[in-house]
Amino acid sequence: MSIYIYGIIDSNDRIDESIKGLNGIPVSYIPYKDISLVISSFNGDIQDITKIKVLEHEDVLDRLMEKFTVLPFRFRTLYNREEDVVSMLKDFYNDFSEDLGRLRNKAEFDIKVIWSGDKIIEEITSDYDRDRDISAGDESRGKLFMEQAYNKYKIDREFEERANICITVIDNFFSRFASEKKLEKLKSKNLLLDAFYLVDKERQGDFKEAFDSLKASSSDLQYLFSGPWPPYNFVRIEYGKD
Amino acid sequence: MGKIETNSPEMFIEEMERINSPLPERINTGPENIEAGLGKLVLTLIELIRTLMERQAMRRMEKGSLSDIEIERIGETLMKLENKVQELKELLGIKDEELNLNLGPLGNLM
Repeated sequence: MSIYIYGIIDSNDRIDESIKGLNGIPVSYIPYKDISLVISSFNGDIQDITKIKVLEHEDVLDRLMEKFTVLPFRFRTLYNREEDVVSMLKDFYNDFSEDLGRLRNKAEFDIKVIWSGDKIIEEITSDYDRDRDISAGDESRGKLFMEQAYNKYKIDREFEERANICITVIDNFFSRFASEKKLEKLKSKNLLLDAFYLVDKERQGDFKEAFDSLKASSSDLQYLFSGPWPPYNFVRIEYGKD
Repeated sequence: MGKIETNSPEMFIEEMERINSPLPERINTGPENIEAGLGKLVLTLIELIRTLMERQAMRRMEKGSLSDIEIERIGETLMKLENKVQELKELLGIKDEELNLNLGPLGNLM
């Protein structure tokens, strides 16, 4: 029998009603000082925890978030022995407490933005081709290769500069309501931005309003707003293990 | 559960699938596919080095610190390297988008 870990809460109190975890097994709590680890027993190997179970993991965290500040553990965090879990809780207590303090009353929101990356590259390329001196004569193969590579380099850079301008505008809508943020730009040509913001509960309404006004202000971009989520992207300590 | 709101669900599903699908979480090496698995890893590293060399050359071209002879020589080298990588990819049946590694929290290698 292994121990599946969902996260840590900032209390040694618990929710009165039972919460069902992975495979419908009720979660239990291991308290230590003023925090508790939330776990459930798990019969099987890590390979048995398929991606489809991520919703069960998420559901437990959501229930906990209604009452506590939660430090979410990575999906699929499994320990074999209870004594290892207890020792991890004791060893990292100070780090857990620090993270819980930083994340108290905050939740994560994700903003994804798609732009017409392919079209923008085409546009830059055609502008560039129009302005380029095409009087090149009998250039050698090596030089021709370098010229083509250099053209591509300049087009890529212009593309990135345009992306940065657009990201700065988008980020300005949200960053004033967030205490921390993580921006991942151009994960693909079209996915301009994948941004995570840590937002205080009291400012979540403002954050959502900022999204609504951004959406209303531009019809060229596609947006995805999601949250509130447990603050997966803002936990600093790496304590989960496979 | 957190709420999800979007003006274009299909586009996001398609984009996320495209980003996630070509990158395996692990390189699959077993007795039957050891050549392809190792080949992919070696080619990924060669491609990384080639890209870094090319970017360095581009920066130097931009600054005007390369002579015509140097441009010619570097161009020949990079071109031959690119052709060789292409040949090896075809030989091992590896696609362009497979030449990458997911480095977890650090993102993708290239």
